[in-house]
Amino acid sequence: MIIQYKPKRDWLETIVFLEIFQGLALTLRKLFSRPITRQYPKEKPTFYPGFRGQHALVRDSESGTSKCVACMRCAQVCPSRCISIRYHQDDDHSPRIMDSFDIEALRCVYCGYCVEVCPVNAITMTDVFEYAAYDRESIFFDKEKLLSNWDDFMRTSGYDQETYVNPFWRPRGLPDSELTAASRLLPVPDDWRIENQFIGIRSQKPEDRGQENKHVG
Amino acid sequence: MQILILLIQIAVLVAIVLLHVAYATYFERKIIGHMQVRMGPMIVGWHGLLQPIADGIKSFFKEDIVPEQADKPLFLAAPIICLVAMMVSLAVLPFAKGWALSDINIGLLFIFAMSSLASYGIILAGWASNSKFTLLGGLRSMAQVISYEISLGLSLVGVMMLSGTLNLTEIVESQGTSFFGMYIFSQPVAFFVFFVAMLAETNRVPFDLPEAETELVSGYCTEYSGMRYAMFFMAEYIGMFVMASIGVVCFLGGWNGPFAVSFFPPIWFILKIYLIMFIFIWIRATIPRYRYDQLMAIGWKLLIPLTLGNIFVTGLVKAIVN
Repeated sequence: MIIQYKPKRDWLETIVFLEIFQGLALTLRKLFSRPITRQYPKEKPTFYPGFRGQHALVRDSESGTSKCVACMRCAQVCPSRCISIRYHQDDDHSPRIMDSFDIEALRCVYCGYCVEVCPVNAITMTDVFEYAAYDRESIFFDKEKLLSNWDDFMRTSGYDQETYVNPFWRPRGLPDSELTAASRLLPVPDDWRIENQFIGIRSQKPEDRGQENKHVG
Repeated sequence: MQILILLIQIAVLVAIVLLHVAYATYFERKIIGHMQVRMGPMIVGWHGLLQPIADGIKSFFKEDIVPEQADKPLFLAAPIICLVAMMVSLAVLPFAKGWALSDINIGLLFIFAMSSLASYGIILAGWASNSKFTLLGGLRSMAQVISYEISLGLSLVGVMMLSGTLNLTEIVESQGTSFFGMYIFSQPVAFFVFFVAMLAETNRVPFDLPEAETELVSGYCTEYSGMRYAMFFMAEYIGMFVMASIGVVCFLGGWNGPFAVSFFPPIWFILKIYLIMFIFIWIRATIPRYRYDQLMAIGWKLLIPLTLGNIFVTGLVKAIVN
């Protein structure tokens, strides 16, 4: 990369304060532009698929409880170690049974790795972000709280229970053959397929990027 | 009876000016906000219109903290000195023909004296708070006011030579009612120097070194809280108002405008003041703070020689024309 330096100003430009007047012209122009402020409590932000908000445990519609198989992958991948899981096993070959599943949300960095790594789509993140409280206890999520988070979210958001976790939260950039069964694509619209997905804003087509920005503004 | 009328006039003037000060802060916050593509105050009242009143009530009821190590009498007196000195200079301003509280014949000199007195308040505040930051702020203010007071005074000498008087009303009248009679056209260099020195004299950006937030917390008023802090704030805004009035009186033709408004004569004066206040705020939104040695270099090496040259040329032209 070649750094482009501004040419040094000559004596005439110094005397007439060229650069100061350029700055003043800029601020005057911006005075009449539209503010980009979002008046937050009155005006909520728009959410896009994959917003990393409050955690939830997906309630399995068959068993009525969590899908978690206590594989501990989420607890291992978590960078801030805010997930702790206890389980028991009757003997070495029987399935693990999850006893407790706690997330200390005050330590969470909202990276979403736990959701991506989950082989059975048990844990997910929701669009909810306004859950500040006056005490630590109400931001410490145990299993029941996480399940009720999911119920509340499904009731209020209008997402489809079957397709929320899978297409939104699957690991990006991996072919279906390397994913666990639950993370493979369901029969979903064509633009959800791997080759039509993008990773990060740079791999997006420029005209799409423009539209996205307009959406945000 | 006459004293009673004068007292009522003073009360009305002070009330109007304080209201103006309150809304000057609103004006400033709104303009800077929009220049930074924000909105400024929006919550209290329609588009935040009641914000200055809410601020006033808040600072009035806040606790007035005096530091334990402070020099208490001076600490308490400093903001009052500042505010009183600024308010007294309002008395000589001619808002329209015959609308000055006291039309004394050394009006310009009186305003200089009072604006220097206000810097005593700042220095005392810096000293009495007994803290490093306030002391540095006070010292900087002293050095800055001394340097720029000279160029401010010298820049107006040209105006005095042209009008032949120090009385503010007569200075306005000597400019006549025509557009090109304004001294900004016959004294452009003086106006430039006056404008820069005015920014420095009122401690505004880019010369706000006495209260440089990034270096000195809040400069001389770091230790102040509540109403006393608000008094410094009021003094600063009244100072802006007074300096803008001097600029209007000496260079922009005072209360004369394109046409006379008989029911409210000061209208042009007030509009011109608002124009200068807008430029103050506009500059604040644009230019970063000068370094301290740059500030001194501009004052001593640029502005003072410029004004001296201006006085020389003005005298020469006047002698030749006569």
